[in-house]
Amino acid sequence: MVRAERLMVRVLVVLAVPDAMKLSHRGVSPTSIRPHTIPAGLESQAKALGITADNCLFCVPSDLALDGSIRDVWLVVTHTTVLTLSADATDGKPLSGPFEFTHIGKVRCFQTVGSAFLQVQVDNLYVNVVRYSNARRESFSRAAGQIERLVKHEPLQDDALTRKSDRTCDHCGLPLAGKESPCPRCSGHRGVFARSLGLMRPYGGAILLLLATMIAGVLLDLIPPQLTRVLVDKVITPKTNLHWLPMILLGLIIASGSRCLLNIVIGRTSSTVGTRITRELREMLQHKLMNLSVEYYNRHSVGSLMSRVLYDVDYFQSFVSQVAQGFLLNLMLVLGIGTVLFLMNWHLALLVLLPIPFVVIGTIFFWKHIYPRYYMFWESQSKMAQLLSGLLSGIRLVKSFGQEAREEKRFSGCAEHSRSSRRKLESGHATFNPIMGFVFGLGGLIVWYSGGNQVLGDKMTLGTLMAFFGYLGMFYAPISSLSMFSNWVTGFISSAQRVFEILDSSAVLPTATDQIHLPSIQGRIEFKNVVFGYDPYTPILKGISFTIEPGQFIGIVGKSGSGKTTLVNLLCRFYDTQRGTISIDGVDVRKVNPDDLRGQIGLVLQEPFLFRGSIAENIAYGRPGSPPLNIIDAAKAANAHDFISRRAGGYDAKLGEYGAGLSGGERQRVSIARALLCEPRILILDEATSSVDTESEQEIQRALSDLTKGRTTIAIAHRLSTLKNSDRILVLDEGRIAEQGTHEELMLINNGIYRKLVRIQTELTRLEM
Amino acid sequence: MTEATPTPPASIPRVYDKGIRLLLPETTSIFEGTFSLLHCMVKGDTLYRAVYAQRLFPIRHPDQFISLHYTDIDDKDKEIGVIETLAQFPADQQILVKQSLRSQYYEQVIQRVIEISDEFGLLFLEVETQRGIESFVMPWRHDRAEDYGETGKVLLDAFDNRYVIPDISQLPPTDRSRFQKYIYW
Repeated sequence: MVRAERLMVRVLVVLAVPDAMKLSHRGVSPTSIRPHTIPAGLESQAKALGITADNCLFCVPSDLALDGSIRDVWLVVTHTTVLTLSADATDGKPLSGPFEFTHIGKVRCFQTVGSAFLQVQVDNLYVNVVRYSNARRESFSRAAGQIERLVKHEPLQDDALTRKSDRTCDHCGLPLAGKESPCPRCSGHRGVFARSLGLMRPYGGAILLLLATMIAGVLLDLIPPQLTRVLVDKVITPKTNLHWLPMILLGLIIASGSRCLLNIVIGRTSSTVGTRITRELREMLQHKLMNLSVEYYNRHSVGSLMSRVLYDVDYFQSFVSQVAQGFLLNLMLVLGIGTVLFLMNWHLALLVLLPIPFVVIGTIFFWKHIYPRYYMFWESQSKMAQLLSGLLSGIRLVKSFGQEAREEKRFSGCAEHSRSSRRKLESGHATFNPIMGFVFGLGGLIVWYSGGNQVLGDKMTLGTLMAFFGYLGMFYAPISSLSMFSNWVTGFISSAQRVFEILDSSAVLPTATDQIHLPSIQGRIEFKNVVFGYDPYTPILKGISFTIEPGQFIGIVGKSGSGKTTLVNLLCRFYDTQRGTISIDGVDVRKVNPDDLRGQIGLVLQEPFLFRGSIAENIAYGRPGSPPLNIIDAAKAANAHDFISRRAGGYDAKLGEYGAGLSGGERQRVSIARALLCEPRILILDEATSSVDTESEQEIQRALSDLTKGRTTIAIAHRLSTLKNSDRILVLDEGRIAEQGTHEELMLINNGIYRKLVRIQTELTRLEM
Repeated sequence: MTEATPTPPASIPRVYDKGIRLLLPETTSIFEGTFSLLHCMVKGDTLYRAVYAQRLFPIRHPDQFISLHYTDIDDKDKEIGVIETLAQFPADQQILVKQSLRSQYYEQVIQRVIEISDEFGLLFLEVETQRGIESFVMPWRHDRAEDYGETGKVLLDAFDNRYVIPDISQLPPTDRSRFQKYIYW
């Protein structure tokens, strides 16, 4: 049974069989919340508790009892209570509850390792109502939201309960890579080979030329053995027709020379097509990588992505030559020469075919066992590149902690893994190839034996046997190549899959069909009940709402992990909110053209990232081709001009990797100049001064004080003194706005978080002095 | 949670005097209170209600370094302190803490890998766990099959359910080979 059908069967089993009776239900995420229905098996229990289909609002199936055992458990929510029932409860009592809504303070989903609890707060204590495996998180997350509404006397949202899951395919039940990602099965992607051939479509003319030259080449290859047969049978053996000798030789030279010319045409054409395809593919990958969301980069290492763009794409170059000169050519040779062999002597030709079944079986075995080794080898290479990249980037840290020997050992382990995976791969080849050679050799020996007997018995001429052997070499060579073709195919498929995985990735933020262009904005920002978490079931921001008027300077403070940077990530639309909206000048950021959005936002991060290149190029990164005067103005405004002009190379001074050659404060000022050159209406400063010394900080602050005037500015800072003059300060705590107001207003709040932070920092400053 | 716990050294000098608060049997009392929730009383401190336990070293020291938490009035999770060695506590208290730990961790231990195949960038597995034969689907990615201690792997299926192989070398050779054909990192 194919896997697609098996999965469908699993889905059907899940729907048909009570959860407690099976263990394979974790393959799907049922969001089978049942509104206004008492599940089968619970009717009598429910009735005894006074619960009927009329007063039952909804039921949610769970797969676990509170102690973690597998049980068919239902969360039952009525107009007034929440409780848990199980059909196999012998005493007929609820497993937990009933909890009256009037006694419930809050509702939450409490995530643990591998499962979670829906809890209600009673008497200021969170009590477990139901436990569920992670497969049921979506259902219970929705249920918790609705119970919370009921507790607050808000109406139930039926559509929120019955909405289909966006984590599995509606059609086939296959889990999706991400929210609303296309289903890999149902989206109709063709196989790797079909897609790779599709890449060759623009080069149809060149491909036709290749095919024509290949056919001509095969025909040419058939000529020399025939000429050899005539030479042996009509000239050398009878020692007659000696004047034919130069003509036959001339024919052999012409055939060989023509083949040489055809090979040149084939080689050059396939190289032209191959290099173009790889260039286009690299461009497509780079384009895709630029458009993938930040979330995709959280899941994939830079080393592995680099490896795909740099090395895996190279396989497509060989794909063209393999298709042109490898597979097709060999196939044509096998068919052409096979036909000639049968025409010459079908008895002998049948013997020639004896090794073929062994070759086929060997190739299948090889494919099955070597294929995964390619992944293993690629993985080891990628891992080594990642380790080395991290090691060299952090070389100062390694040295300062004196961990060189340890790192050497770590790298040595990685190198050993790479060696071993390569050895496994090559030992497979080293075993397979000689065995295939031996099998073909046996085929030749059989022909020698049988053909020799026929010549000795005068049933065949020596010339025919010689010609037969000439063709035999040409017949086995392409068969051998075709079996070796599987080696190449395995490597190609694993590389092509990795390349297409990027191209097919749906980790791109959705683009609105009714996009709105905002070439200029006022800078009014509004967060309305924004909920977001990098893990969708663990929110970082829990219902944030605030408004920033154009030109206001807003400070954001809070502990690490309170959601400050997440808030900025959402405003820049590196991620989309899970609930709620963010708007700029009243327009939802999801509808704003991404180029317009980013063009209006200037971002200055704690760790400024500068590219290898000149200082001027780095400043003009967002506005390439900016006039030099504008670059100088931006640098001057960022208090960077003085130190730049003191350098021998001035604005043309080249910077190393990550801005090597500049101090931390200087790098930061260049990054501020870069942001300012784009004249953003919204300026975001994410800990812009926290990693520089006090003097540099003062320089940067001086630069910023003028620049933020008239721009909507959001500044995240740990050093609260930098936010003292903010129009308003938002204090984030555990994903919520705990306090907001001016510095003075916040300082008046007794036991306030802000006031406490200021006091701590003042004390620290006093200690430092 | 299946690895043996090495016996800790009798007394380890603390690097910082003001590090974590150790919960000792002589000063800490753990008992079941309202709603059958775990409660904890520390001498000279307040009574903590609705307490839950978490392992700080779930693989290397599953029965040691157990952190007790509670949720404060502002809904923030706070740590009460750390039990260095659970075995030093009275048996009834050990049972309560272990119960709490069981509710915090839910994972299947894979004993056999019966079938594994790939399609659409997903791995389809049929395995035998302590609960019987199970099948699940997981994305074929590194971050879904991470190291579990020095010798094991933890697999996260498409919905983040956890399947643990504590020691890959302990799998039957055919199963191991089948597994490592796909999870080779």
